[in-house]
Amino acid sequence: MRRVRATAAGAAAIVRRDAIIFSSYRLRFLSEFVSGALGVTLFYYVSRLVTGGEFAASDDYFAYAVVGIAVLQVLTAALVVLPMAVRQELLTGTFERVLVSALGPVVGILAMAVFPFASAVLSALVTIGFAALVFGMQVEWSTASLALPAAILGSVAFLPIALLMTAAVVVVKQVGAGSGFVVTCMSLVAGVLFPVVLLPDWIEWASEAQPLTPAVDLLRNLVVGTPISDGSVWEAAGRLAAFALVLMPPAILALRASLRGARRRGTILEY
Amino acid sequence: MNEGVSLPTAGVADAARSDASEPRLRLEGVAKTWPKQEVPLFAHIGLELQPGTLAVVTGRNGVGKTTLLRIVAGLISPDAGVVRLDGLSPGENRRDYHRRIGFLSAGSAGLYARLTVGQHLQYWGRLAMLPAAHVRSRVAATLELFELGAIADRRADRLSMGQRQRLRIALAFLHEPSLLVFDEPWSSLDGDALELLRAVTADFGVRGGCGLFSVPIGQELEVVPAGRIFVIENGGLRPL
Repeated sequence: MRRVRATAAGAAAIVRRDAIIFSSYRLRFLSEFVSGALGVTLFYYVSRLVTGGEFAASDDYFAYAVVGIAVLQVLTAALVVLPMAVRQELLTGTFERVLVSALGPVVGILAMAVFPFASAVLSALVTIGFAALVFGMQVEWSTASLALPAAILGSVAFLPIALLMTAAVVVVKQVGAGSGFVVTCMSLVAGVLFPVVLLPDWIEWASEAQPLTPAVDLLRNLVVGTPISDGSVWEAAGRLAAFALVLMPPAILALRASLRGARRRGTILEY
Repeated sequence: MNEGVSLPTAGVADAARSDASEPRLRLEGVAKTWPKQEVPLFAHIGLELQPGTLAVVTGRNGVGKTTLLRIVAGLISPDAGVVRLDGLSPGENRRDYHRRIGFLSAGSAGLYARLTVGQHLQYWGRLAMLPAAHVRSRVAATLELFELGAIADRRADRLSMGQRQRLRIALAFLHEPSLLVFDEPWSSLDGDALELLRAVTADFGVRGGCGLFSVPIGQELEVVPAGRIFVIENGGLRPL
């Protein structure tokens, strides 16, 4: 029990470290908010061009796109920010401290995921709030409060993919371009900014093979009331949980193997 | 060194040692060959350090001093051989092994620019999994021992190189390790700080801790008073 508490305290210290560093750059949250707000503004005006087809009105597409942008913020935090954070630690030599600590690199890396996820979830909620307040996006208030646990569930479902990308950083050191590629591919097939039914038939299967699709479906339903085309809220949540449960063990094994291999090759501190 | 303030060492390690006659650190047949290299860096490294022994590893540039220290610190796995600290293996008993290591890499890296001196010590205390109740007292004692109290609230990126190095060394002592693994520790230290390092290290040895320090050849006596000196040559380690 004492060891569990000490492990939790060590992980919390990493989260606190990241929070201190983040807050030491005073304009950072503001710049992230402005960036999100500009994206929302852009899609508001793009949505004015969208009438008919899959959407009954321009506002329907605007709400669709806003939730997509919000979920994309969380996905980017997972697939880009965490691997980049580990690479940054390698560059500055601070990863070595995690490696020689009793806490160890696996728990350390898991803890390093927490703050970026939390920050991205907050940014996503602010983005949605901005769209509602400034552009009058209709929010389904009766279920909107469930968006937070749903976003956390989505984050957990993205975590195994983030761990795989981080394992790649340990092995090949550079995965910035690869992370961007994966985010783009997942966004393309998951219906983040346009409905999946517009995709060619031969690629639609890919929308079911990754957690971004149920994450955006679930959040759209909870935040703006968009019906889930393929099942219920509980089914979407269940699929996210299943992605997390099935992918997490192999992702952690892959991370452990990458660390073990880098120790064996002597490349663990290289960058 | 501040009189009356010291860091008790090796408490956890002593409790775990099953046989007091066993060496604290034991290397046996340690071998390492870099990928795509035909000549091994080490072929047969052996070393035993009894409690209280401070040892220097020296040798020409590129003979593998840093690699040997990284192997002892559990950062690099040897191709063959045995590494044991208080009977623990870095591979099989990683957490308890690293609980006993105080590691200092060469250079000045490894600090977070935006964290203060005090925040670094708190952070490391938690990563070292010190009991929560001990972290505050360990941080206070370490600040005093390494004369960092006056700059406890200063960010790392606003420290001089010598202050940074003193903080890095303080981090290695904070969690009461039983083995110090220091790669060229005197870097950037002025005369007073070097004297402080010598005194703290000597006290660490008196209290039963072991130390393995890498220094360039010709500077063996710079850091460690009355230590054993080994030189890496031809893939092996021999007393100098």
